[in-house]
Amino acid sequence: MLKYVLNRLFGMVVVLFLVLTITFVIVRVAPGDPAALMLGPDATPQDAAALRIELGLDQPILVQYGKFLLSAAAGDLGQSLFFHRPVLSVLAERAEPTAFLALFSLIFSIVIAVPIGIYVAYRRGGAADQGAVSAAMLAASVPSFWTGLVLQRWLASDLGWFPASGYGGPGAGFFDRMGYLILPSIVLGIVNSALILRFTRASMLDVLGEDYIRTARSKGMSEGRVVLRHALKNAAIPIVTVVGLTFALLVSGAVVTERVFNIPGMGSLVVGAVLRRDYPIIQGTLIVVAALYILINLCTDLLYLLIDKRVRY
Amino acid sequence: MKKTLTFALAAALAAIAPPAMAKDVINVAIVGEPDTLDPMVSTKDVVSIVTQHVVETLYTFDGSWNVAPLLAEDLPKISDDGKTYDIKLREGITFSDGSKLDSADVVASLERWMKIASRGKTVADKVTSVTAKGPNAIEIKMSAPYAPLLSLLAFSNSAAAIYPSEIIPEGDGQIDKVIGTGPYEYGEHVPDQYLQLVPFKGFVPRDEPANGGAGKRGQAPDEIRFIPVPDPNTRVEGLVSGQFDFADSLPAESYDRIEQSDKAKPVLLQDFGWPVWAINHKAGLLTDRKIRQALLAALPFDDMLFAAFGDDKFFKVDGALYPEGWAWHSEEGADLYNQNDPSRAGELLEEAGYDGTPLRILTSRQYEFHYKMAEVAKQALEAAGFKVEMDVVDWATLGQRRNDPALWDIYISHSPFLPEPALTDMWFPSSRIGWANPDKDKIADAFVSETDPKKRAELFAKMQKANLEDVGFIKVGNFNALLGEAKSLEGVPPSPWPYFWNATKK
Repeated sequence: MLKYVLNRLFGMVVVLFLVLTITFVIVRVAPGDPAALMLGPDATPQDAAALRIELGLDQPILVQYGKFLLSAAAGDLGQSLFFHRPVLSVLAERAEPTAFLALFSLIFSIVIAVPIGIYVAYRRGGAADQGAVSAAMLAASVPSFWTGLVLQRWLASDLGWFPASGYGGPGAGFFDRMGYLILPSIVLGIVNSALILRFTRASMLDVLGEDYIRTARSKGMSEGRVVLRHALKNAAIPIVTVVGLTFALLVSGAVVTERVFNIPGMGSLVVGAVLRRDYPIIQGTLIVVAALYILINLCTDLLYLLIDKRVRY
Repeated sequence: MKKTLTFALAAALAAIAPPAMAKDVINVAIVGEPDTLDPMVSTKDVVSIVTQHVVETLYTFDGSWNVAPLLAEDLPKISDDGKTYDIKLREGITFSDGSKLDSADVVASLERWMKIASRGKTVADKVTSVTAKGPNAIEIKMSAPYAPLLSLLAFSNSAAAIYPSEIIPEGDGQIDKVIGTGPYEYGEHVPDQYLQLVPFKGFVPRDEPANGGAGKRGQAPDEIRFIPVPDPNTRVEGLVSGQFDFADSLPAESYDRIEQSDKAKPVLLQDFGWPVWAINHKAGLLTDRKIRQALLAALPFDDMLFAAFGDDKFFKVDGALYPEGWAWHSEEGADLYNQNDPSRAGELLEEAGYDGTPLRILTSRQYEFHYKMAEVAKQALEAAGFKVEMDVVDWATLGQRRNDPALWDIYISHSPFLPEPALTDMWFPSSRIGWANPDKDKIADAFVSETDPKKRAELFAKMQKANLEDVGFIKVGNFNALLGEAKSLEGVPPSPWPYFWNATKK
C-alpha cells in the first residue's frame, strides 16, 4: 500500500507541475493589464508601464516563468499584486470559510440524500421514489446562483432568519462566522444532494437485487438489518466515491455561492483575482485546489480499504 | 443528552442571528476592495469614497461644486498675471500620528503628487515651483495661468492629498501606512471583508457650516465600516435586510424592490454621469471627419439610452455636456445631437467614400449599459450603411486594448460630471483619443488660461459646439445613479463620492 501511496504522490507532483505551467501560460496569454486596472480608469499608458516595471511584469515571459518555478519549488507561490502579501498567506486566510462551507454543504447533502436514496431504492417505483427522483432532477438542473438568490431574498431579506451576506465583522467569534455559512451551505447542499441521492439510489438498487440479499432475507433477517448491514455496506463504495468527488468539487466549486453571499473564501478570491489580473493569486489558488483535489481523491481511494476488505493496493 | 442538545440548539441559534452591532456603526456596502488607501495613486471612485474620510486636500468642493478651502485657510491669493498662488494653511492641525501640519508637509506632498499622480502630472509641466513661505503658507508659481489648478487640488481621486513629509517615500515608492488629517483614521482592515474607520481624536474641524464636502466635517458615527460587496444584487439584499445602512451603485431594476422595503429607501442621484463614446483620432476609420459626422448623424441616442437604462427615471436625452443647473451648461451645437437620421448619415458616408471598412466598437459587459447601448447603436449604424464589428471583452482587456490605437475605432466608457471640464482629458490632443483640431485647441488653451468664470463658461460653450461639429467624442446622454440607504440614516447628501462624517441613525 505504501508503494501505491507513493506512486500517487509522485503522480501528484507531475500533475501539479502541469497545472502550474498551464496556468502560468493561460493567465499571461489572456489579455488585460493588472497595472492599468490597479491605477484606475484615468491613468495614462505611461503610468501603467511604470507600474508594470515595478511589479516585474515587463520581464520576458520565460524569465518570469523560470523565477516562478524556482520559487514554487521552494514553497513560495509569490506575492499578490493586489494585496502586496505572500500568496500562501492570503490563501490561508481564505481557507477557513471555503473549507467549512464545503464541509457543511457536504454534511447537509449526506444527511438529506443518503437516507432518502436508501429509502426510495427500497421502495422502488413508488410515489416516494418518483417524487425524490424528480426533485433530484430539479435540484441538479437549477443553477446554484438562482437557488442562492431566491433563498437569500426569501430567508434572509424577507424573513430575516439568516444574515444576507458576509462573514462577520470585527471581533466576530467562530460561531458568529459559522452562522454566516448556514444559508450558503444549504444552497450548495441542495445542488449536491441531488447527485448523491441518485448515486445512492442506483447503487442500492444494484445491490438489493443481488443473491446474497435474497439469501439474507430467506434466513429470516429483519428488513432493516438486510438493508442497512448487508445492502448499504456493499453499496457504499460508489457512494463514498461520489461523496469524495463532491467534496473536492465543493472546495473548488463554491465560486458562485461565495460570490452571491459575499463570503471571502477561495472562490471569491480567485474570481476577484481574475478580474484584477492578479496572476500570482490565480496561479496559487489553482495549484492549491488541484493539490486538494488529488489528495481528497487519494483519501477516498484509501477509504475503500476500510469499507471493503477485498480491496488491496 | 438533553443538556447537550439544548446547548447545541442555543449555539446554533446564536450563530444564525445576525451579530449585534453598536448603534452608531454605519455599514456601507461598496463595489469592491479599494486597490490602495492612498488616493494620490488611484483614480478609482471606490478609493476616493473611502479615503476622503481620512486624508484631506488643500481644497474641496462645496454643495454646488465650487472650490472651497479645506486645509487651506481660505481661497488662494492669485497674482494679477494669474501665475502665482499664495496659500495660507490652517494652524493647529495635526495628523493622526500626532505630528503637526506645516508647510514642509504640503510642499513634499504636492511635489509627490506632481511626480506620481495621473492628475498631478497633467499640471507638473506648468508649475515652476512650490515653496514654503514660513511654517504656515506656501507659494505655487506657474509658467502660465492655469485655471483648473484649484479644481485639481480639490479633487478626491488622484488627489493632491496632504501627508506628513516623514512618511513620503523617496522616488515613486508607495506609502507604507497612510496618515491624514481627516475626521477618521484607519482601524482594522481585513481585505475583501471590511475596513473600519474610527474617529481621529485630534481632528480639528472647520468652523463654517457643512456645505457639500466643505465646511464642518463631523465625527458623528463612532465607526464607519466599509464592506466590499462586488455583486450588485448582494448589495441590494444586504440593504433590504437591514445589514447595510448604505449601498453604493445599485442596478436600476432594483429600484422597486428597495422602494417597497420597510427598512431601506432608494436614492436617485440625478445627473450622476454620462456614457461616453471615445473616438480614435489617431488611427483607423474615424480619423475621417465626414465619417465621424456620419456616425453622429446615425446614432439614435434616445433609443440607446432607453435600451441601456430601461426607464426614463434613470436617464435624460441631453446633448449638452453639462446638465441644466451647472455653470457649464449650454445648448451651443446641441441641434447636432440625436439627429437619428440614417439617410443623412448615408450621404455623409458616400461623400467620404466609405469603402465598407468595419467600424470597431470596443466594449465590455462589466457595465451592462455600455453593451446594451452598443447593441442598439449597431442596428442603427448598419441601417445607415456602416459595417460594424463589436469587440466585447472584459473590462481588464478593454483597459489594455484602448491603449493601442490600432485595435479600435470607438471604446465605450462613462464618467461622472466633473466639476471642472478641463479634468476631462479628451479635450486635449495629448489624451488617449488624440483629438487635435486647431480651432478647438485654440479655444481649449484659452479656456484653461482664463480665470474669469463668466468668460470661461462662454469659452466652454464654444468647446461644446466644436465637439459636436468635429465629433471629438460622443456624449450619449445623462444618467442617474441608484444608491440605497436605510430609512433610519440621515446626514448623507447624495454624491458620486458619498461621505458619512455627518451621518446619524435615528
